[in-house]
Amino acid sequence: MQLLQLLVFPGLTFFVWIAFAFEWLERKTAARMQGRVGPMIAGPFGLLQPVADFLKLASKEQIIPKHSEKFVLTWGPPLYFAAPAIGIIFIPVIGNESIIGHPLDLLFVLFVLAFSTLMASLLGYSAAGRYSTIAVGRLVVQYTSYEIPLILSVISPAILAGNLSLGGIVSAQSNYWFILSAPIGFAVFIIASLAELEKPPFDIPSAKTEIVGGWMTDFSGNALAYVKLTKNLSYVFLSALAVTLFLGGPNGPVLFHQIILQYVMNTIYFMVKLFSVGFLIFVVKTALARIRIDQAAELFWTILTPLSLAQLGLVILLR
Amino acid sequence: MTLKDWARKKSIWVFDVNAASCNGCDIEILDAFTPRYDVERIGVVLVPSPRHADVLLVTGTVNAMMKDRLKTIYEQMSEPKYVVAVGACALGGGVYKGCYNVGHGVDKVIPVNLYIPGCPPRPEAIIFGILKLVTGEPPDPKEEE
Repeated sequence: MQLLQLLVFPGLTFFVWIAFAFEWLERKTAARMQGRVGPMIAGPFGLLQPVADFLKLASKEQIIPKHSEKFVLTWGPPLYFAAPAIGIIFIPVIGNESIIGHPLDLLFVLFVLAFSTLMASLLGYSAAGRYSTIAVGRLVVQYTSYEIPLILSVISPAILAGNLSLGGIVSAQSNYWFILSAPIGFAVFIIASLAELEKPPFDIPSAKTEIVGGWMTDFSGNALAYVKLTKNLSYVFLSALAVTLFLGGPNGPVLFHQIILQYVMNTIYFMVKLFSVGFLIFVVKTALARIRIDQAAELFWTILTPLSLAQLGLVILLR
Repeated sequence: MTLKDWARKKSIWVFDVNAASCNGCDIEILDAFTPRYDVERIGVVLVPSPRHADVLLVTGTVNAMMKDRLKTIYEQMSEPKYVVAVGACALGGGVYKGCYNVGHGVDKVIPVNLYIPGCPPRPEAIIFGILKLVTGEPPDPKEEE
């Protein structure tokens, strides 16, 4: 039963389909904001466009460059995919407890975020192209800038709940959401998520107009399909983390006595919040232009780190 | 129609190469991505690297400087790959035909699957060409709406 939950609902398969839906929503939002219509003919309203992209890439030939590290290039993409795929099963969806809850799983989730970036830089270096090497350099600089505000903003809900497990943080939000007492933390988390996801204004490591495809330049076929899917899954993972930490997770306004009905309603509440956070990120990402790497480092070190520290102090006073 | 064929018809990633073109055809290619034509609705995406691409759009007379580079780019694409020659120059030299320093068409250098004539071709022609290449038949107007 637990294995079924892990693999199907609310586990991996469920979140992979949400990842496809997120890409569809991202492309549709960007298209509508630019006066276009976006994907239309693959499935109803183009809903199956990301699936078609994934299947097509997976069925293509994979080119392994001559000077690359072949072992890492072959086995790296599955490991890179594993990072958000393992992290996401700690998110509580149908109730206050996740499938494999642990008293310290917030720390594990933060480790997964760091591991994802490590895998990205390993993959970029192992491809050994000049553009991917430049991109990894930028990626690491960006990582050292956004990681500290991200972790500081995650600490605030943990202190408010007095708990280091995601399930505990969700249960502590049954009366009010932590976004009310930690609004700055939420804002810093969203901005740091944009940097983690390499989206504008922080798409410096994958800047199309400067360094071709970023660290993904030399990937093709199957590897590219998994890397793209992983990026979408990371999108879902960070949005789900924002929902869990700041927006009350699956908690909703109405409680039901029937347990099955309660599960269904919890899932619906969770999905509504998840897609709202995703939509917020898409709108910000489409509206803004790219900044330079030194500007990004300056923003994170001189503005967002003090802000998140101030939020932390405020939270300790409130508690 | 298998799932693979369906996916390949619905998702077409293109990479464009300016092989000594006057830039006119390139502007028309980019026009196809603007709100008026918006080829993203039929699944066409402009990708930054030839390794990601399915379709290579080549414009311009391929001159001696570009010849080897165009070959390299073609070899970097993964199978299945298609090449579309866009514009009169890419078809056979265009107005520069007979000049000592220009090539005479893309098909002298790499195999070409489809030719789109015009100087420059309209965006409609480019969309029609890409769809014809992938589906093997003209697009159904009803499906596009």
